[in-house]
Amino acid sequence: MSRRTIPLAIGAAMAASAASAQDAPLQVAMHYTQEQAAPLIACIEAWDGGAAEYQQISYGDYLQTVLTGRLAGQSPDIYNVYGAVWGAQMVENGVLAPVPDDLEAFVRDGYAGGTVEAATIGGTLYGVPTEVSVYMLVSNMALLRETGFDAPPATWDELREMAEAVQTTNEQGRTDTAGFAFFQSGSGAGMVHPWYALTASEGGAPYGADGEVQLSSEAGQAALERMAGLVRDGIVDPTVDAYDAFPAGGAAMMIMANWYESAIEDGLGSLDDVVVSAIPMGEDWRTLQYAFFMGVDSGSDRQDDAWALVRHLNEPRDGEPSCVAQMLDGLGALTASAADTAALPTPDAFTQPYVDALAEDRVVSQPNVMQASEIERTMARTFEEVLAGEAEVGAALEDLNGEVEDILFEFQ
Amino acid sequence: MTIAEGQRAGAAAQARVVRPRRHPLRGLGGALKYVALALGALVTVLPFADMFVGALRSPADVFANPPRYFPSDPQWGVYARVFRELPIGTWLLNSVVVTATITGCQVATSTMAGYALARYRFAGRASIFRMVVGAQMFPFFLFIIPIFFILRFVPLMGGNDMAGQGGAGLLGTYAALVLPFVVTWYGVFLMRQFFLTIPEDLAEAARLDGASEWAIFRRIMLPLVKPAIATLTLFSFVYHWNEFIWTMTVTRTAPDLQTLPVGIYLLQGAFEDLDQKSLQQAALAISILPVVVVFALLQRLFVSADIATGVK
Amino acid sequence: MSGRDPEPGAEVPGPAPWLFLAPLLVFAAVFLILPLGFSVYLAFTRWNPLGTPSWVGMRQFEFLLTRDDDFLRSLANTFVFAVGFVVLVVPISLGLAFVFSRARGKAVWRSIYYLPQLTNIVAIAYLWQFVLDDRYGLINRMLGAVGLRGPDWLTDPVMAMVSVILVMVWYDAGKNMLVFSAALEGVDREIYEAAELDGASAWRTLRSITLPIIRPAAIFVTITSFITGMGFFALILAMTGGGPRGATDVTALYAYRMAFEDLRMGRASAAALILFALIAVLSLVQFRLLRERA
Repeated sequence: MSRRTIPLAIGAAMAASAASAQDAPLQVAMHYTQEQAAPLIACIEAWDGGAAEYQQISYGDYLQTVLTGRLAGQSPDIYNVYGAVWGAQMVENGVLAPVPDDLEAFVRDGYAGGTVEAATIGGTLYGVPTEVSVYMLVSNMALLRETGFDAPPATWDELREMAEAVQTTNEQGRTDTAGFAFFQSGSGAGMVHPWYALTASEGGAPYGADGEVQLSSEAGQAALERMAGLVRDGIVDPTVDAYDAFPAGGAAMMIMANWYESAIEDGLGSLDDVVVSAIPMGEDWRTLQYAFFMGVDSGSDRQDDAWALVRHLNEPRDGEPSCVAQMLDGLGALTASAADTAALPTPDAFTQPYVDALAEDRVVSQPNVMQASEIERTMARTFEEVLAGEAEVGAALEDLNGEVEDILFEFQ
Repeated sequence: MTIAEGQRAGAAAQARVVRPRRHPLRGLGGALKYVALALGALVTVLPFADMFVGALRSPADVFANPPRYFPSDPQWGVYARVFRELPIGTWLLNSVVVTATITGCQVATSTMAGYALARYRFAGRASIFRMVVGAQMFPFFLFIIPIFFILRFVPLMGGNDMAGQGGAGLLGTYAALVLPFVVTWYGVFLMRQFFLTIPEDLAEAARLDGASEWAIFRRIMLPLVKPAIATLTLFSFVYHWNEFIWTMTVTRTAPDLQTLPVGIYLLQGAFEDLDQKSLQQAALAISILPVVVVFALLQRLFVSADIATGVK
Repeated sequence: MSGRDPEPGAEVPGPAPWLFLAPLLVFAAVFLILPLGFSVYLAFTRWNPLGTPSWVGMRQFEFLLTRDDDFLRSLANTFVFAVGFVVLVVPISLGLAFVFSRARGKAVWRSIYYLPQLTNIVAIAYLWQFVLDDRYGLINRMLGAVGLRGPDWLTDPVMAMVSVILVMVWYDAGKNMLVFSAALEGVDREIYEAAELDGASAWRTLRSITLPIIRPAAIFVTITSFITGMGFFALILAMTGGGPRGATDVTALYAYRMAFEDLRMGRASAAALILFALIAVLSLVQFRLLRERA
């Protein structure tokens, strides 16, 4: 290449990127895949308030992407924020704009209290609640019936008994069909979320009323002991990932959120043999809910437009459900909006138990704490160590408690 | 390129040039060496074969319990799906633009600097050469954080004021992908070594004829180091086509600027479900193919160039 | 440059050399000296880059070296990764070079063995994730077919480290093989013929002629591989993310995450500097040791 062509190439490249920066359409950044978000994308592209486009950011590093993107001045205009895990840190770093007054009224009047709370950080509302997720026990009844069980377990002991009965291994000791399996995810949710549900069922809470860290409470220890016992006694094979195995018919039971419905249906072909039931902790079972909310970047130069689009996407249209609700419904996910719930057809058999858990007040919200993604990573790692038999429940939780206190100390 | 990667890349290139001689080591079984080579080759190729097989699996294959290894009904349409469902056209274009720009810049800066360090005597030459050698000692991870912020605080760019505050600087532009790689220390080193081997009288004669220094460099010297340029081009191209960490860091939220490896990595959320794995494997195949083709083409070019000029 | 040699090159009036060197000098100022200085400055601060840095003196170094168990563990992991890589890649590529340099069909073998070098690191990580899957990966399926239970390549902490080392060796062995074979082929045939005439045994020829001649190449590959291994984290990021349970978390990855996930730029810079100092010292020691024995 001669010397003359080089500045030309750089110049052309720069000009191209400068051109794309002007008149940029509003960016809506969510973690749903293009396929999942198709109904929403249609609404975004058809919006008459201006150009807007959808951008997928992987769930596993959404927060990291948002924060580095912000450093680089490449922030999207609209976020879908996982309140409990990303919310506090985004607010702490000044990423989110508070909800304008008119929209605040829309949210407070039309959404379930728990989900409004999930969008509220330090007393300020930062967005419109979108997806609500709840954890329940999901069972593949075909596999359970083959082993002689007609109903999912109601207690932990039953779960252990049934899981053990279902489990089959090949001659090398590898699991062919798992009775119960945890799901694995980079964020650690597959360990941490079931633990929250079990801890709540044991009557405990991870944080006290004044925010004191109490991860090593008796309830917390009992919950982790239940999980660890499954692996220790050979009932659960930790190398089986429920995320892959359940839709493939290779796992009979998992504790999972409602949003996985469509993937299960894709994998198994139908939901006829899938039953959703209470967290198997007897009469006093509780479970975890967490919620997303749609917020706007505080540095967006078109904040008003962005909020208008947020409202457009979340407002029911002439008795029809909102665009967001339509997408969530397609996924099998739940909406937090009362109007949307009314506008949507009644939930199917898979989703109904999740809705009931919300209605019966069986749910506890995931705690909104600072640096939550770092904390949950630390928690997941501790739990995995305990499950692998590398640490004792009591001592590990004591250590964890100390580590989390250290992390939070900076923010007091 | 770090010193390690660069020098080994260069040495590997040299290996290609050496004409085979009958090897002196005797005693090894003739067949045994081919068994060893074939075994190594099999291990080398296996993951690629696995990728091509995996890309053809259908949802029915992956959702079977246990999942089937060989596709029961090969899904050749998966490659069309990659282009339909992933922004792979954008990634490809970015990979080409960025890689070509960087490679061009590196060849230009390396030949110019290498030439000056080899062919001119001037005060400060020794110190500059020491810097070129010394700079190769610093591993790239040391530069990620500071260069990220240096680009962010470039005054008057991307909405910044005179003090470099207020905007995003050069982040979010192609410049952020290219500028940190405009010079390769190893390339300068390589070019200097090549220019040292060229006799001085050629330049002297031209100088007496009144040729400008630029003309001497451009018309006389550059053609003589073509093989070295080919080598550098090849390794710059391969290295920057595959560059991952830096590009990912600066294009996380700029999908318009992402290159192939970065796009595939950052879209991992789209490949989580079992029935999306084949799409991922097909996308990976597409990310690998262009380099293999370019390498195959350029490899022949610079081997013959080496032989033609007799430079080893 | 050695002082004994006559200085090569022409002395020309005017700014010609400086014009040729201008791009390099500007680059050195902006992308070498400035970043290194900035990096050292940052290591003495606490900085969430959405705010302003505050000077904390040696506190980041103190925290990392005395309180941060994960950091110390990452240093150990880094060391294990680099040493494991070197210990495997040098003999394997040397062995391959021996057979390669006396085989026919070099062009074909070379193209095959060079393939990993052409592949981007994300693809390498994912390709191997598929191959190494505990239950349904190609390797464990093949082992299962002959009745063996394959290891938990990526879910067992010890095996995960073994796996990333092996993949790194797979990635680099072909390139090093070519370096070694260049050295082997550089040996003049007449030396061997002379040795043969003197009646030297094959073993003696290997020890007294071949090994000394490839020693510089071996030192070179050993040290550069070690440096690469100590600072390389792209493969681990994409393949294991540092897991399971931190078993493959190397320092460069730990520092990268600290910077761009948790936005602790000061502490991350300090971690990177500590790693760099360690690499510099260890490479120097290695170089001395290997050279003395030569």
